[in-house]
Amino acid sequence: MAAADVRDMLDLPAEGQPRPHKKQKVVEKRPEGITRELYALLGERAPPIAINENKYKGRPKWMNKLRVRPWSMAPFTNNARSDGLVLHHWQRKHESARPPAPTPAPAPEESQMEVDQPKEEGKEDVPKLLEQEYAFAKYNVKPRLPQRYTDDEYNRHLQSDDWSREETDYLVDLVTEYDIRWVLIADRYDYQPRMDTEPDANAIVPAKHHRTMEQMKARYYYIAATMLSLEHPPSEMSEAEFELHEKMLKFDPDRERDRKELAALQLNRTADEVREEAMLLEELKRITSNEQNFITERRELYSRLEVPISVGNTTMYQSSAGLSQLLQTLLQADKSKKRRSILGDGAIPSPAGQTPTTAGGLGRAETPVTQAANKKGSITSKDATQMVRTLTTAEEAKYGVQHHERVSAGVQFRSDRAQRLTQAKSNVQTQKLANALSELEIPVRLFMPTERVCKDFEKLIQSVNLLLDARKVSEKVESEIRVLEAAKMERERKSREAAGISGPGADSEHPHVKKETEEGDTGLLGHSTAPQNTQGNGEGNHKRSASVLSGASDKDNKRQRR
Amino acid sequence: MNPSNPPQAAEYGGDEVSAIVLDPGYSTTRAGFAGEDAPKSLIPTYYGKYNADGQEKLVFGDDVFVTPRPGLSIHNPIGRDGIVEDWDMAERVWEHSFISRLTGTKAGNPFQNGLNDVSPDELPTEMEVESEEKPLSDSPLLMTEPGWNPAKAREKTIEIAMEKWDTPAFYLARSGVLAAFASGKASALVIDIGASNISVTPIHDGMILKRGVQHSPLGGDYISSQINAIFKANSPQPITITPHYLISSKTAVEAGQPPQAKYKTFPADKAPDASYRALLEERTLSEFKECVVQVWPGPTKLSAPSPTGVSNEDLARNTPGRPFEFPDGYNQVFGVDRFRAVESLFDAKAAIPDPESPFPPPTPAQTIPELVKASLAGVDVDLRPHLLANVVVTGGSSLLYGFTDRLNHELMQMFPGPRVRVTAPGNTSERRFGSWIGGSILASLGTFHQMWISKKEYEEHGPNIVEKRCK
Repeated sequence: MAAADVRDMLDLPAEGQPRPHKKQKVVEKRPEGITRELYALLGERAPPIAINENKYKGRPKWMNKLRVRPWSMAPFTNNARSDGLVLHHWQRKHESARPPAPTPAPAPEESQMEVDQPKEEGKEDVPKLLEQEYAFAKYNVKPRLPQRYTDDEYNRHLQSDDWSREETDYLVDLVTEYDIRWVLIADRYDYQPRMDTEPDANAIVPAKHHRTMEQMKARYYYIAATMLSLEHPPSEMSEAEFELHEKMLKFDPDRERDRKELAALQLNRTADEVREEAMLLEELKRITSNEQNFITERRELYSRLEVPISVGNTTMYQSSAGLSQLLQTLLQADKSKKRRSILGDGAIPSPAGQTPTTAGGLGRAETPVTQAANKKGSITSKDATQMVRTLTTAEEAKYGVQHHERVSAGVQFRSDRAQRLTQAKSNVQTQKLANALSELEIPVRLFMPTERVCKDFEKLIQSVNLLLDARKVSEKVESEIRVLEAAKMERERKSREAAGISGPGADSEHPHVKKETEEGDTGLLGHSTAPQNTQGNGEGNHKRSASVLSGASDKDNKRQRR
Repeated sequence: MNPSNPPQAAEYGGDEVSAIVLDPGYSTTRAGFAGEDAPKSLIPTYYGKYNADGQEKLVFGDDVFVTPRPGLSIHNPIGRDGIVEDWDMAERVWEHSFISRLTGTKAGNPFQNGLNDVSPDELPTEMEVESEEKPLSDSPLLMTEPGWNPAKAREKTIEIAMEKWDTPAFYLARSGVLAAFASGKASALVIDIGASNISVTPIHDGMILKRGVQHSPLGGDYISSQINAIFKANSPQPITITPHYLISSKTAVEAGQPPQAKYKTFPADKAPDASYRALLEERTLSEFKECVVQVWPGPTKLSAPSPTGVSNEDLARNTPGRPFEFPDGYNQVFGVDRFRAVESLFDAKAAIPDPESPFPPPTPAQTIPELVKASLAGVDVDLRPHLLANVVVTGGSSLLYGFTDRLNHELMQMFPGPRVRVTAPGNTSERRFGSWIGGSILASLGTFHQMWISKKEYEEHGPNIVEKRCK
């Protein structure tokens, strides 16, 4: 309850006297660079701009207490040199040489020299600078070369028709001079065969032949390898040495030359060639990346298709109990995989374990779930209005939306339904259907069981059935006719016999009729009819056979209707 | 590597021995202390000669430009191919370059400097006097030379340095190598566009590849001659350059109008030599080159049709021109001509014919693309892609507007396969003094100090040592 309310209740004046303001102690820190007096004038509210003087910091105070370490221009020698050249550089004066009185100000060079001469800082303790090794002398390194051959060694092992001793010497000197940098050696190689006699203008000067880098390399590697093996026989070489030895022995100047020619060709390609290669490379990259994509997608697909139980028969899932069991196993598998649920976030709160809907959407993508759910109306109306979009008939055709009057439980395949049409009750009938289809060159199992194809297939099967029935009926009628004719002939014969005319024709005729009937009857009529007929038991028999026929056709018709 | 962090001591590796770096060129001579980022002393290599009071007098440094003394003639000790011709004068000019700014004149012998009265019998011997007058006795000297410097000239150089200047240590480095060092590369293809020469130098591991060194005379002076040819054929009227010293006053005129200026005239006996006027005209021309001249940016030649079908010249004609005012007040906007002046550096056929020019018309082999091609043909094939990926552009004339773009295009067209990368410092002074800066870096390295040719070694082996040591 606020004070105002209390006052209101007690009818006190709104605000008698202002209460003594509680003094707030706001001790703001006075920024540096502003005097106390000036800061006091600013009052309580500090200006919005931070007063931050940009001033040179200088060296920290503690450094002023340090003693100045002076620098001096000191002479030094470089151990990498053989001539003892004395050069001068700035150097920290070392302790003992320093005058005892501390000099007040640092030399202006100091800061600069500190940067320039970091090397010498560590040297202060060394008493005599000149004796100390020059810091950079250690960088004077030379590659390790095999030792130089002696005259004897040269004559025994290293003779060559192509290379004179002088030229070999020249080459080895050059290699040593340029530290086996072949590019430089080949560039500077300029061997002039020495003339023993006075250079005569008319003397035949041997054509100065141009040595290629490969020739030089081959010669030098041969020498180096030989010298190496003379030093240590290959059996005693260390691994590295042996490797080097092998490498040098195996140098193939021709191959190297070919390689360089190829490299030159590669370098001198035209712009078109380069463009083409770039294009091909791009294409290759695209192809490989596509391949990669395809593989990953397929793997993903496989992992999705990987159902925990793969029992071929689906009939056990037709019942709701079976389906709920399937759901349980799937969920189990899902949990054990510790992955995001396949069911999605909400796992579809199916009221009362509405297994059919849920199960319908289980294995595959989510759309059937929502579709089925929509149709079932299991989603609240608000959701439904959001999700259902009325489609025109054209659109429905386009997207393949269908409305079923009756949705049977479980998963159904359209191809299965089409398949079922070809299965007649009797095997014979099925066979006939198959025969008819094969005559029409239509596979029993449809390749592309789309909605329209299935519809047409259904129509086709119906008409095939109709035709088969028609044939059956016509055959029946024909056979009846034949039976009747036979009976008629029998009667005529009898009447003729009675009339005293007998002939051999009767015997020959009878089997003919029998054969015909048998032919016509195959499959459609029972065998029993023919003998009955042939026996010629008269009208009664005919009736019976007719009734048998009609019964068969009735059956057929019934099946048809179904 | 973050450039704002100072390098570690180990990788910095500097050790300064107050060496002097001298980079003599055809047009200017650069000198300074090693370890600095620009030469302290920059003087023209040209020197003036005149007669006064019956004595021949010499003018060095920037003073040559200042006073049009009677009979003042301008000379250059270095020949057009970049090799020193007049050794005596070259020595004087070089000496001037470091004495004037770096070392100062040595205090002479007090007996000789004229401040003391000395009785003749106290005069010291010749020896003493000589030993004290040498200017470089406590600074090692690093000099540069073009890649095609003959052995004779190199020996003469070390002779001067050792005997005349008394330097304790000397080294002669190729300017191409140093320019590569200035760009931080040990292997590079250096394209140096100088005043008298353009050169292409392949460098491997800090050494030039002699068989690949190419040079041609299409340098800055050649461009000047091309500009002169353009001026002669200029419409509405041919342009003559009147240097500043001949003009006492001028008034502003409209573009293309004849100049209105009052000229100074010198009587024949007071007038300076024609070479003096040529030198000062050259100064105006370099200003013109800096302000107006532009390299056609490519990718195709100026004479070729552009990809859209319009000829490149028409495209160039349509770009806005650049105005330039000459010392006499004449001013004009330069259109396509400003591209044509330098086109012959890349396309020999585009050269503007001028019978009066001291330069013969360029041959195709002298153009930059051909030089690069020839240079690469002279080196090992394994090295070529690497060199093309490290093309370093240096030299004052390479500052022509659009030069590096065009060079890049030309190289990419010529070598479509390997990656071409042109390194050209954007900083003007880094481009102009590329080889000096490289020398400054080299001579201040701790590891370099074992490379100097010391006085002792020189005395032992004679001047020939320079061939052995400075490879």
